[in-house]
Amino acid sequence: MKFSMNKSPKVIAGYTNWRKKLVLMILGGSLGILGVSLVCLNFGVVPIHPKEIFSLIWNSSLDKTNSLIIWQLRIPRITMAILAGAALSTVGGAFQGILRNPLADPYILGVSAGAALGACIGIALQYTTGYYLASYLPLFAFTGAMFSLYLVYMSSKISYTLASTGLLLAGVAINFFFSALITILLALSKSELHSMIFWLMGDLSTANWNKITIVTIPVIVGCLFLFSSSLDLNALSLGEEEALHLGVDTGKLRIRIFFIGSVIIASIVSFTGLIGFVGLVVPHIARLLVGPDHRVMLPTSALFGAIFLILCDTFARIIIAPTEIPIGAVTAIVGAPLFIYLLQRRNV
Amino acid sequence: MKIFKQSILIFIFLFLILSSLLSFSFAEAGNYPLTIIDDTGSAITIPEEPQRIISTAPSNTEILFAIGLGDKVVGVTNYTNYPEEATKVEKIGEMSPLNLEKITSLKPDLILAYAGFQLKEIPRLRELGFNVLVIEPLSIKDTLKSLKIVATVCGIPEKGNTLVEDLSQRVNKIKSEVSKITISNRPNVFIGGTYEAIYTPGEGTLFNELITLSGGKNIAASLPGWVKISPEFVAEAEPDIIIIPIGAMNLGEESKIKKNISQRPGWSNIPAIKTQNIFIVNEDLFYRAGPRLVDGLELLYEIFHE
Amino acid sequence: MSFPETILKVEKVNFSYNGYQKTLSNISFSVSRGELLGIIGPNGSGKSTLLKIISGILKPGKGNIVLLGENLNKFSIKKISKFVSVVSQDTWIAFNFKAKEVVFMGRIPYISRIKGETLEDYRISREAMVKTQSLPLSEKNIQKISGGERQRVFIAKALAQTPQLLLLDEFTSHLDLNYKYEMLNLLKKALKEEGLTIISVFHDLNLASIASNRLILLNEGNIEKIGTPQEVLNEENLQKVYGVKPILINHPSLEVPQVIM
Repeated sequence: MKFSMNKSPKVIAGYTNWRKKLVLMILGGSLGILGVSLVCLNFGVVPIHPKEIFSLIWNSSLDKTNSLIIWQLRIPRITMAILAGAALSTVGGAFQGILRNPLADPYILGVSAGAALGACIGIALQYTTGYYLASYLPLFAFTGAMFSLYLVYMSSKISYTLASTGLLLAGVAINFFFSALITILLALSKSELHSMIFWLMGDLSTANWNKITIVTIPVIVGCLFLFSSSLDLNALSLGEEEALHLGVDTGKLRIRIFFIGSVIIASIVSFTGLIGFVGLVVPHIARLLVGPDHRVMLPTSALFGAIFLILCDTFARIIIAPTEIPIGAVTAIVGAPLFIYLLQRRNV
Repeated sequence: MKIFKQSILIFIFLFLILSSLLSFSFAEAGNYPLTIIDDTGSAITIPEEPQRIISTAPSNTEILFAIGLGDKVVGVTNYTNYPEEATKVEKIGEMSPLNLEKITSLKPDLILAYAGFQLKEIPRLRELGFNVLVIEPLSIKDTLKSLKIVATVCGIPEKGNTLVEDLSQRVNKIKSEVSKITISNRPNVFIGGTYEAIYTPGEGTLFNELITLSGGKNIAASLPGWVKISPEFVAEAEPDIIIIPIGAMNLGEESKIKKNISQRPGWSNIPAIKTQNIFIVNEDLFYRAGPRLVDGLELLYEIFHE
Repeated sequence: MSFPETILKVEKVNFSYNGYQKTLSNISFSVSRGELLGIIGPNGSGKSTLLKIISGILKPGKGNIVLLGENLNKFSIKKISKFVSVVSQDTWIAFNFKAKEVVFMGRIPYISRIKGETLEDYRISREAMVKTQSLPLSEKNIQKISGGERQRVFIAKALAQTPQLLLLDEFTSHLDLNYKYEMLNLLKKALKEEGLTIISVFHDLNLASIASNRLILLNEGNIEKIGTPQEVLNEENLQKVYGVKPILINHPSLEVPQVIM
């Protein structure tokens, strides 16, 4: 069969112009993040006029108090929302790919339960031993996360192959186990109860530049790595054996994605608590918009996740100010109906 | 002569060291900047007399107003209800998590915080550059000490001393009266609540201390901290008096609460219920580590010994 | 017809899933370039297992697989995929890819993760779709098309992988009559023109007879008979393996045995 090379590439069927879609999404997404950030910067307990915000961004010495609010409170918060939203969505999408299950979310493999247990233990200890542990809460959470990661990996090895089902089951089991421990801890606490529950529902109010510095590198490097596994994830969605036939080492792929994804999640969750639904819903929205090709879908998820979380966080902190709603509650209230709607669309 | 001169020099030297040590941990009125170690073990330096104070706990609010610093308080938490003037102060939100933006906007030069579950908020506040004085009174003695510290830090140590003297006198009076009552004449007391699940204060809690000081015997005295106990435990302990602390939301429901307590299954044989010695009290007097603890103490004495 | 080059040599392969029950015993045969080798046998006789061993997914307990002169256990999964492609029975696809995207995935073994795909990859994918008459399905959702359409897409994908050895597991099971023969002709043509070698598992004995140059009849993990359709499909062998006495006639034009029930 002769093929004429004179025809332009776009005429070739099979050409999926994914690169064009990707560039479009990156441009649109980045602009979106910038735009939404600037708009949401104007919202807060304290009314600061947009003009003042603008001038404060350039010259922070104008009004010390308002400058403090903008630079030390609102901007770090929005930045953390961007990082967390991007991280959760990317890992959620990657896990849905690796488990071939659209119902997966970043917490399904049990790492978050470990982080939660670590944080609750930290909060309980802090109450009984004193002040100095307060700043080390993220360390407790991260240690807990790594511990559960280890447990899941070890228990999944017991099964016949390191297949998706094995990992999934191990993750679910660890989730249940740690959640039970957390429940016991909650039952035994009185004063710390409130702090624990707030952590369990997600909290971006503690964001500061230090934390952002720590979190940025693992999140960006990790997400870039997940993006690079896109083709392999595409292959895996045809089936475990199909992927093997296409030359994809599924066992190694699973371990890599699971490990990198868990480290990203552990990093974020250690500082923000458990923010749910983002990692579950946003990949679906991305798929609806750009299709299931992971090469476009994962970066799109990251960008959309960032925007989604900025909006949710802004809502959480202004709706009944000065009291704050935990952000996990907002993402659930928005996310759950959205998810049901998306599921219905699939079946139509 | 030489020995005499030497000893004078040593004496002067020691005196200078001693007085500088004293001024390090405690300062005279108007002696700013002063440095103090608070209940988190951190050294706080107050540059000048605080004019804008935020209180992040109702107990701290009561302390501030009791010492007479009410007009310097610029922010209080949502559920502030005492004294009357405090309710008119701007609200900063919940006790946890603290709304940093609101606090910042009020430009405080001193934040009076509580330890306990607010502990994790403190580093953030200090990071933002605020002076945070954390107090964690776990006993009446601690509370009185905190009162003094707050007064000193705010430049009015005399007022603090006066108030503490006053309160101490009242406490001592109760103590001496109670010492005259034999152990067997002291009633068994159960502190309950309005919920199905029974949480009661045990050893180490303020409430427990108040009960003991006022001449009662807490049935949960040997249990650690705030504990959940079973109804059987209470039935077995056969308390003579039941105290139910309530908050603003349960006002007006006293008779309903008494009825509920009396009708709890398995409790019909408890002395307190048979003699209807069930007392509803204002919980703020017992849960807040402030000057009103002494009011609570006196109230308990009255209830126990009529 | 001469078959000069040996593509695959299976030497004394034994395999067991659980350690005591032998799924395959002492399997030995070789396959030459341009051949279509059919594997037939009752359910549970080990057909699919044999395919999996040849494709490298399962490792034989004893014995060797030699692909293009080299032992298969020296190949990485990626390397195998450049020589061998597989069309399985219908699989469940997790996401709503378009048919053309699925076919394009056949190029994954060749695409550099850093540089990405080339124009040639697209050309090959398109060609594969044209050959399998699945081009009209390009933009359709793979989860929503019929079983037969999906099978054609998967065959296209396997061809896009430009294999030297194509493994098929009952590839005509969902296909309509006309497509059955179209696919067969297409594959036969590829055998001749491009030097493709095919090993296919058949349930349909008649189709096996028509399509294959040689047949392997498996019985409980052993090779009952290997040879031309005429040699393998006779009353004696079929009775022994299937337990029924079939009626065999000769195909009018192709002169291969056909089984009548």
